[in-house]
Amino acid sequence: MRPRQLLDAAARIHSLLMAGAALLAACYSANGMAVPAFARQTGENCVACHAGGLFPELTPYGRMFKLTGYTLGERNIPLSVMGVVSDTKVSNTADPNGDPRADFPAKNGSLVFTTASVFLAGKATNNIGGFVQMTYNNYDHLDPNRNWRGKTVSDNADIRYADRFIDNRHDLVFGLSLNNNPSVQDVWNSAPAWGFDLVPGSNPIGLPTAPLLSGGLAQQVAGVGAYAYWNKTVYAELSAYRTADKFWSFMSQGFKFSDGSRNRLSGSAPYGRVALTRDWGPHSVMLGAMGLEAKLHIDPNDPGSPTNRYSDWGVDGQYQYILDPHAASAQVSYLHERIKYDASLAGQPGAYDASAGTALQPLTSSSDTLELFRAKASYVYRAAYGGTLSYFKLRGSYNSASQAGIPGDPTGLLAGFSPLLPSVSNNITGKPDTTGWTTEVFWLPVQYVRTGVQYTMFSRYLGAARNYDGWGRDAKDNDTLFFYVWGAY
Amino acid sequence: MGRLATIAGAVVVLAAAGCSDIEHSRTLGNPDVPARTLAQQVCSNCHGIDGNSTSPNFPRLAGQPEEYLRIQLTGFRSHGRSDPAGFEYMWGLSHHLTDGQIEGLASYFAAQAPTRNPDPPAGTPEQIRIGSDIFSHGVPGRNIPPCSGCHGDHGQGKGLFPRLAGQHADYLVKQLTVFQQTHQRPAGVAMSAVTHELTRENMKNVAAFLQAQ
Repeated sequence: MRPRQLLDAAARIHSLLMAGAALLAACYSANGMAVPAFARQTGENCVACHAGGLFPELTPYGRMFKLTGYTLGERNIPLSVMGVVSDTKVSNTADPNGDPRADFPAKNGSLVFTTASVFLAGKATNNIGGFVQMTYNNYDHLDPNRNWRGKTVSDNADIRYADRFIDNRHDLVFGLSLNNNPSVQDVWNSAPAWGFDLVPGSNPIGLPTAPLLSGGLAQQVAGVGAYAYWNKTVYAELSAYRTADKFWSFMSQGFKFSDGSRNRLSGSAPYGRVALTRDWGPHSVMLGAMGLEAKLHIDPNDPGSPTNRYSDWGVDGQYQYILDPHAASAQVSYLHERIKYDASLAGQPGAYDASAGTALQPLTSSSDTLELFRAKASYVYRAAYGGTLSYFKLRGSYNSASQAGIPGDPTGLLAGFSPLLPSVSNNITGKPDTTGWTTEVFWLPVQYVRTGVQYTMFSRYLGAARNYDGWGRDAKDNDTLFFYVWGAY
Repeated sequence: MGRLATIAGAVVVLAAAGCSDIEHSRTLGNPDVPARTLAQQVCSNCHGIDGNSTSPNFPRLAGQPEEYLRIQLTGFRSHGRSDPAGFEYMWGLSHHLTDGQIEGLASYFAAQAPTRNPDPPAGTPEQIRIGSDIFSHGVPGRNIPPCSGCHGDHGQGKGLFPRLAGQHADYLVKQLTVFQQTHQRPAGVAMSAVTHELTRENMKNVAAFLQAQ
C-alpha cells in the first residue's frame, strides 16, 4: 500500500470508528434485552464457552457443551441473530481489462452492511440439540447488469444427539451429528470450518483455491457421523456425506447445480477425524488428524457425468492458555490433497499463455496435489482487547488447466470466460501457490460485539510474487485492509 | 438417501429414548434431575468429576465443608455473590436449582476426597515458608490474624469456612483481592477486615503455601 493510500485509509478508519462507536452504543443499550441463544440457555457469559470471549473459538468447557449436543442448560427460545458491517480496501483494484465497472471486492473502500444471519440454536431434549444458521449475503453476486445482488443461503448446520456416561473412573461422550460441512462438527479451532478467516467477509481475496476439506463442500452436502470422546483424552469420529439434494436440500438452500455454486458428490464421501487431547492447569492441547475421500461429478448438473477423485488428509494442533485475564491460543493446520482427474479432462490442450504471447502450454495434467499450511496465534486481555497473527501458505502442482483468464485467446479455448473478469483471478503460472500473513487487532466493548481491523499481506499469489496475471498485477496488489463491526444477539 | 434417512430415523428413536433418561440429563431448571447427575454431567466440566479441578480458573470443591458449599450456591442463585467467577459462570447455572439440589450438590462435593494440587509451585520455597508463617501466625504488626484460626490448622476448613489446602493459588489470590477491594461476596464479609492490610506479596505467599498443602 502506498503512503497516500495509507493516509486515506487512516482517515477512513477514523470516520468508520466514529460510526462504529455510534453503532456500539446502540448495541449496548439493547444488550439487556437480548442475548445469544446458547448464553440464554446456560445463563453463562460468552467467556465460559469462548476463549477470552473471542467467538467462535471454544474453551475446554465450550467443547464439552458442543460435544454433549448443546444440551446443557434450560430449554429456551432457540433464536439468535448476527450481523456484520465492514469496510474492505484492496490495495489495487485497477482492472487492466478496461472494465470501469469491475468492482472487487464488493464496494471496495465503502462501509457496507456485509452479512446477517439467523440461528436456530439450542437444546431440544435431554440428548438433542442443534445449531442451524441461515445467512443473508448483501453482496452475493453481480447480476447481468453488473449490479450487486443479495441472497439468503444455508450456512453451517450441526444437529446432534449425544449422551455422556461418566463416573469417577470413566468418562465417555458418545454422539451423532447431522451436518452440512465436513469439520463443522469439530470442537477444535484448528479444523477448517472454525479455524481461520472467521470474521464474515474478511480476507475477500484470500486463497484462490483450497483442498476440498477446507470448505469445498460446505453447505452442499449432508452427512451423518458418529463420534466418541473418551476420558477427555481420545476423540474419534467417522462420518459419511452425500449431496444435499432432494430431502436434504434444506441444508443447502441457495446453492444450485445450475449456477455452479454446488458440487455433486458421487455416492457417499467418508470423513474421519481423530484427536488426542490433554488439559492441565490453565493449559489445553490437542493433536489431531483428519481425512476425506470424495468423488465429484465433472458436471454437477449431470449425475451421470464422469468424476474427479479427491483424497484429502490433514494434521492439526491447538494449544490454549486460559487464565483470567489472559487467553492465548495457537492453532496450526496442514492439509494435503491429491486430485485424480477423469481421463476426459487429462491430456487436453493447455490454455493460452499470455506471458509467452501465443504459445500453448503443455497438455493438462491427470492429477494435481495441493498443500495448505496455516498457523494462527491469538491473545485476548480481559476478554476485551486482543490481536491475532496468522500465516497461510498454499502450494500445488503445475497444471496448464489452471492457466486462465485472458480475453482474446487465439485458441478460442477460453471463449466462455467473461472478458470482464477482473485480473485478480488471472493465472499465468498454472500454479496455485499463495503465501501471506494476516494481522488483526480487535476490541470487544461488550461481550456480544467485536470490532477490529485486519491487514492481509500477500507475498505470493497464484504462483508468483510479481505479474502473476500477465498484465502486471503483483501479489501485493491484493493486500487488503478490512475493518468490521460484528455483533450477535 | 435411504441410508441417511435410516440413520436419521435411528436418531429420532434414540432421542425418544433419551427424553426419559434423566440420569444422564444436563438439564438445569428441572427439579427432578438428581444432584448427583448434575454434579457429573454439568459441574464436572469445570470442577472435575471428583471436585479436584485441574484448571485454576475453577476452584477445587473436593472436601469443602458442606455448609460452605451450600451458602455459596445459594449466594450464586440469589446473585448475592457477584464476583466475576460468580456471575460469569455460576449465576446462570444455579438460577433454577432447588434447595434440595443445592443440598445434594454440597453433599456430593463435600464427600469427595481432595487430592494434592498438581499445579507447579506458585512460589519459591522461601515464599512458601513466608506464606506458611502468615497462615499460622498472621502478621501481628499489621493486625492480620492467622488464617488457621478459622480455616483449621491444616487449612482443611470447617462449617462456614472453606477448605484452603490444595486450592489453586491463582484462585485464592483473586478471591482475597475480591474480599479486600469489593463487596461482591457479602457472605464472606468477615474476610474484608482480615484482608484489609494484606499486601499483594502477602496474598501470593500464603496462596503459594496453601496450594502446596
